Amino acid sequence: MKGIKSKMLSRGKSQDTQKSSKKKESKKSNSHDSSKAPKESPSTDPNGSVIGAQNDFLTVPKHSGKKVPIDTTPTPRDEILLENVRTVRKQRSSLYHISENRNLVRLPSFTDVPVNKWHSLALEKLEQCCVVFDFNDPSTDLYGKEVKREALQDLIDLISVRKEAIDESLYPSIVHMFAVNVFRPLPPPSNPPGEIMDLEEDEPALEVAWPHLHLVYDFFLRFFESPSLNTSVAKVYINQKFIRKLLVLFDSEDPRERDFLKTTLHRIYGKFLSLRAFIRRSINNLFLQFVYENEQFNGIAELLEILGSIINGFALPLKEEHKIFLSRVLIPLHKAKSLPLYYPQIAYGIVQFVEKDSSVTEEVVLGLLRYWPKVNSSKEVLFLNEIEDIIEVMEPSEFLKIQVPLFHKLATSISSQNFQVAERALYFFNNDYFVHLVEENVDIILPIIYPALFEISKSHWNRVIHSMVCNVLKLFMDINPSLFDEVDAEYSESRRKKEDEEIIREERWTILENIAKENAMKLKSQNPTTVHSTTERLKKLSLDYTNG
Amino acid sequence: MQTENQVNDLYPIAVLIDELKHDEITYRLNALERLSTIALALGPERTRDELIPFLDESIDDEDEVLSALADQLGNFVDYVGGPEYAHVLLSPLENLAATEETVVRDKAVDSLNKVCICLSQEQLEQYFVPLVQRLSTAEWFTSRASSAGLYCAAYSQSENPAVKVSLRQSFSHLCHDEAPMVRRPAATNCAKFVFLVTKQEAIDEFIPLFNSLSNDDQDSVRLLSFDIMVSLAEVLKSDSEIRHYLLQPLRSFVSDSSWRTRYMVAANFVKLAKVVGPSLIKDELIKPFVLLMKDTEQEVRRAIATQIPGFCELLDKRIVLEEIIPVIQELINDPAQHVRAALGMNIGALAPQLGKEKTTEYLLPMFLELLKDENPEVRLNIISKLEVVNKVVGIELLSQSLLPAIVTLAEDKQWRVRLAIIDYIPLLAQQLGVEFFNEKMGNLCMSWLEDHVYSIREAAIKNLRKLTEIFGLEWATETIIPKFLAMRSHPNYLYRMTTIFAISEIAPALNAEVIEKQILPTLEQLVNDPIPNIRFNVAKAFEVLKPVLAAGGDSTVYEQQIIPLLEQLTKDNDPDVQYFATQALEQTND
Repeated sequence: MKGIKSKMLSRGKSQDTQKSSKKKESKKSNSHDSSKAPKESPSTDPNGSVIGAQNDFLTVPKHSGKKVPIDTTPTPRDEILLENVRTVRKQRSSLYHISENRNLVRLPSFTDVPVNKWHSLALEKLEQCCVVFDFNDPSTDLYGKEVKREALQDLIDLISVRKEAIDESLYPSIVHMFAVNVFRPLPPPSNPPGEIMDLEEDEPALEVAWPHLHLVYDFFLRFFESPSLNTSVAKVYINQKFIRKLLVLFDSEDPRERDFLKTTLHRIYGKFLSLRAFIRRSINNLFLQFVYENEQFNGIAELLEILGSIINGFALPLKEEHKIFLSRVLIPLHKAKSLPLYYPQIAYGIVQFVEKDSSVTEEVVLGLLRYWPKVNSSKEVLFLNEIEDIIEVMEPSEFLKIQVPLFHKLATSISSQNFQVAERALYFFNNDYFVHLVEENVDIILPIIYPALFEISKSHWNRVIHSMVCNVLKLFMDINPSLFDEVDAEYSESRRKKEDEEIIREERWTILENIAKENAMKLKSQNPTTVHSTTERLKKLSLDYTNG
Repeated sequence: MQTENQVNDLYPIAVLIDELKHDEITYRLNALERLSTIALALGPERTRDELIPFLDESIDDEDEVLSALADQLGNFVDYVGGPEYAHVLLSPLENLAATEETVVRDKAVDSLNKVCICLSQEQLEQYFVPLVQRLSTAEWFTSRASSAGLYCAAYSQSENPAVKVSLRQSFSHLCHDEAPMVRRPAATNCAKFVFLVTKQEAIDEFIPLFNSLSNDDQDSVRLLSFDIMVSLAEVLKSDSEIRHYLLQPLRSFVSDSSWRTRYMVAANFVKLAKVVGPSLIKDELIKPFVLLMKDTEQEVRRAIATQIPGFCELLDKRIVLEEIIPVIQELINDPAQHVRAALGMNIGALAPQLGKEKTTEYLLPMFLELLKDENPEVRLNIISKLEVVNKVVGIELLSQSLLPAIVTLAEDKQWRVRLAIIDYIPLLAQQLGVEFFNEKMGNLCMSWLEDHVYSIREAAIKNLRKLTEIFGLEWATETIIPKFLAMRSHPNYLYRMTTIFAISEIAPALNAEVIEKQILPTLEQLVNDPIPNIRFNVAKAFEVLKPVLAAGGDSTVYEQQIIPLLEQLTKDNDPDVQYFATQALEQTND
C-alpha cells in the first residue's frame, strides 16, 4: 500500500516537471514563430483556442453536456498554392566552378587608349572575363560582376566597330573565354523524368547567370559572323571536341540560351565545312537517343531548326546519307510524346524533303501512318496537319501510291469520338487541291472511306461533325452519283455479312483449338518422355547459366 | 476421311493469314497471342517448315505486334520439336532484333537468349554465334546495340575456347563502337560479361574496356560503366588488385564533371562497398562517401543520403561518429528540401548501430531539428521512422526529447503530417501514463475529432478506441466519451456523423451500463436528426451495440429501448434509412 502510494507521488513530480518544461517550450515557440514568420501570427488563434480547450478539458465534470469549443478555421490552402508557385518559378542555376580570385580592377575602355594598345587591352579584358561569378547569391561580388559585364560589353563594341582589331592571335583566348563561361554541367531537369514540359502551364527554368552569359554568347556570335574570321586558323580551336560540348548544352531549359546556341552552331556549320559531317552525325545521335532511349532533351526544336536550313541546301539528287537521315531519324522523331514542342520545325523539314525529292513521298507518308498516335488526340491533330501540308506539295503520281493506306487512316480519324480529331480530318475536304486529287481517284477512295462517313452521319455525338460529314457525303454524291449508289449498296450488304464473319471467326478458332488439343494429346502419348526431358534440360542449362 | 485431313491441313495457316491481315490491331495481336495454338494444330514439322518461314518473311507490322511476336517466339522451342530444332527460331528473331523500336529489339534479345540456352554446341557454333557476329557488324546501330545483349548467353553456353576468344574480341569492338547508342548497351552488358571470364582475362581484356568506357566523352556511357567497376571488384577480390586497377577510376567517378555520373556512384555506393571488403572501405571509401555527401548537386546529395544506413553498417562505430555524423549534421541544414527529406527517411536506421547513448547524444538533436523543418515531407519522413529509434532509446526518453515538437506537428497544417502523428499516439500514450497524457495530449486527441479532413477524424476515432484499450473504460467515460457525445449537437452534420462513428468504433470496449446511461440518450436524439445519413448510421450503430449488450447478459435494454427506435426508423420516409434499419432488425431476429 505504501509502495503504491509512493509511486503515484513520484509520477506526480514528474508531471510537474513536464508541465513546467512544456510551458517554457510553448512560450519560446510562440516567440520564435512571431519573430520568424510574422504572417503566421493569425495561427496563434487556433493555438489559443486549443489552450482554452485544454482548460475546459481539465475542468469538465463527469456527465457534463457542455459543448466543446469548435475550431472551424480551415487550413490556409492559399499558402500552399503560393508555395507551389514559388517553387515552379524559381530560377535554376548551373553548377559553375566559381573562380577563386574574383577581385577585378576596372580597365579603360578601348576608346580611352591608343589603337596600338587595343590588342593587349583586349587580352586583359578577355582574361577578366574568364572569371566566373556566383549568381545564386545576387548580393556578392557586385563590383566584380559589374566590371566583367562592362568588359564583355567593351569587347562586343570592339568587334562590332573595329572587326580588324580581332586578329588571329586572339583566337585561343576568345575560345577559351567562351568555354570557361559556357561549358558547364547543366542542372537536373525541373520536371520529373518522363514528364514533358507543358507549354501553357510550365514556365521555363531560367539561367540566373544570364546577365553575363548572354553577353558571352553575343560576343562569340559576332566573332563568327565577322567577315574577317580566318577559318583556317580558327578550326584548330573550333574542333570536334568543341562541337560535342556545345551540343550537350542544347539540353538547357533556358530557351534564350538554346536560341543563342542554335545561331552559334548554325554559323559554325556554315563556315567550317570540315565539321559539317560530324555535326550532322552528332545531332543524329542526339535524336536517336531521344527517340529510342529517354525521350528527354530540351533542344530538339532548335536542332531541327538548324537542320531545316541544312535540308534546304541539300543538293539534288539526294545523297544516300540524307535519305537515311530522313527515314531513320526524322520520321521516327514523330514517335515521341513531346512532339508538340517541336512540331513546326519537324513538319517544315519533312515538307522540304518532299518538295526537293518527290520520290521520298511514299516513305514519308507511310512512316507517319506507321507512327500514328493511338490515344493522344492533340498529337493526332498535329499528324493530320502534317499530312495535309505534305499533300499540298505532293505530285499526283505520288498520291496514287499512298492513297489506299492514307484513306484508311482518314476514315479512322473521321470516325474518332474526339471532336477535334474528326473535325481536322474532315477539313481535308475544304482543300481544293485535295478534293481535286480525290475526284481523280474517287473509284478507289470512296469504297474505303464510305463506311466511316455513313456510320458517323448516323451516330456521331457532335452536331458540327455530323453536319460536316453530310457535306462530304454530298460532295461524293456530286462527284459520281452512280458510284456512290453502288458503294452504298455494297456497304449495306457487307454490314449484314459482318456479324456472320464474326461468328465464323470464332468457329474457326474453336476448330483450330480442338485440333491443337488433339495433336498435343497425340504428342504426349507418342513421346511420354519428351516434355520431361526437355524440362529437365532447361533446368540444368538454366542453372549453368546462372552459375556462370 | 481425306477431305477432313485436307481441311485440317489448310486451317491453321489460313486462319493466321486472315487474322494478320485484319485492319484492327487487336485481331492481329490476338492471332499472335494464340500462335501456340496454331503451332500445335500444325505439329512440329509443319511449324518448322511452314509457320516459322511464314512469320519470317511476311511480318511487317506495328511495333506492338512485332513486340508480341518476339515475345511468343521465345517460348516456341517445344512447338518446333524441341531443342534439337530450336535453331529454326533464330532467323525471325534476328530480324526482330534489328528493328528500330527499342521495345521490340529488347523482346527479341530476351527471346534469343532463351533459345540459346537450349542449343547444343553444334547449333551454337553453326547458327547462334554467326548470328551474333552478323548483328555486331551490321551497318545500322540498332543491330549492333541488340547484339550487345547476346554475348553473355553465347559465351556461357560455348565450350569452345576459340569461339570464346572470338566473342570477347567482337564484344570489345562494340565497346569502342562509334555510336554512343551502341556503347551504352555494351557498357550495361559488360558488367555481366565480366563474371563469365577468368580473372586473368578480366585483367587483360576487360579492365582496358572499362577504362575506355569510364572515360567516354558521353556521360551517359560513363555512368553505366560504374556497374562494370562493381563487377570487376567482385571478380578481382584481392585488395591489392582492386587498389591497383580500380581506385583511380573511382576517384574519377566521384569528381566527374557530370552530376549524372556522380549520382550513379552515390546511388549505388553500398553495392560497391559490400564487394570491396572492410579493409578497402576503411582506407579508401570513406573519403569519397564524404565527398559525395558534400556534392554541389542536390540530386547527388539526396542519392548518397539513401546509402547512409547501409554504408555505416559496414563501418566501425567510432568512424561513423568521427567521419560521418559531422557531415550528416551539415546536411540537416541542406538548402534543398529533397535532401533533408531523404535524411529524414534514412538516418533513423543508424540508431540500432549507434546504441542508446550515442543515439541520444547525436541523433535525437537531428531529429528534433528535422521535426521542425519548414517542409512537410521532411517532417513526415522523420515521424514515419520514429519507431526504429524508439526501440533503441525507449519511448520515455524519446518522448521527453521530442514531445514538444511532436505536439507542434500534431497541429501541422499538412494533414498527412497530422495523420502520421495520430498513428503514433497510442504508443506514446502507453508510455506517458494516463495523468501525463491527459495533461499533454488529451485535448489534442479530442480536437482531431473536429478536424476538417475526413481522414483525420477517422484516424482520431480509431485512436480513441486504442486509448480506451490502454487506459480502460473508466478513463474513457470520464474523459473522451462525454466529449464526443457532446458533438451530437454540432450544427455541421459531418461532425454529428463523427459522434455516431465514434460510438460504433468504441462499442466493443463499452459495457451495458455506459451504453444505457450515456450512449443511448445520444442515439435517441439523433434518431430524429433531419439528415438521412445521420439516421441510417444510427441504425448501423444500433446493430453494432447489440452484441455488446448481449455479452452483458441483459437483453432488456435492447428489446425495450432500441428495438422501438429501429422500428421507428423502418417507417422513415427515406429508403436508405428504411433499408439499414430493416437490416439491423433482421440481425435482431437472427
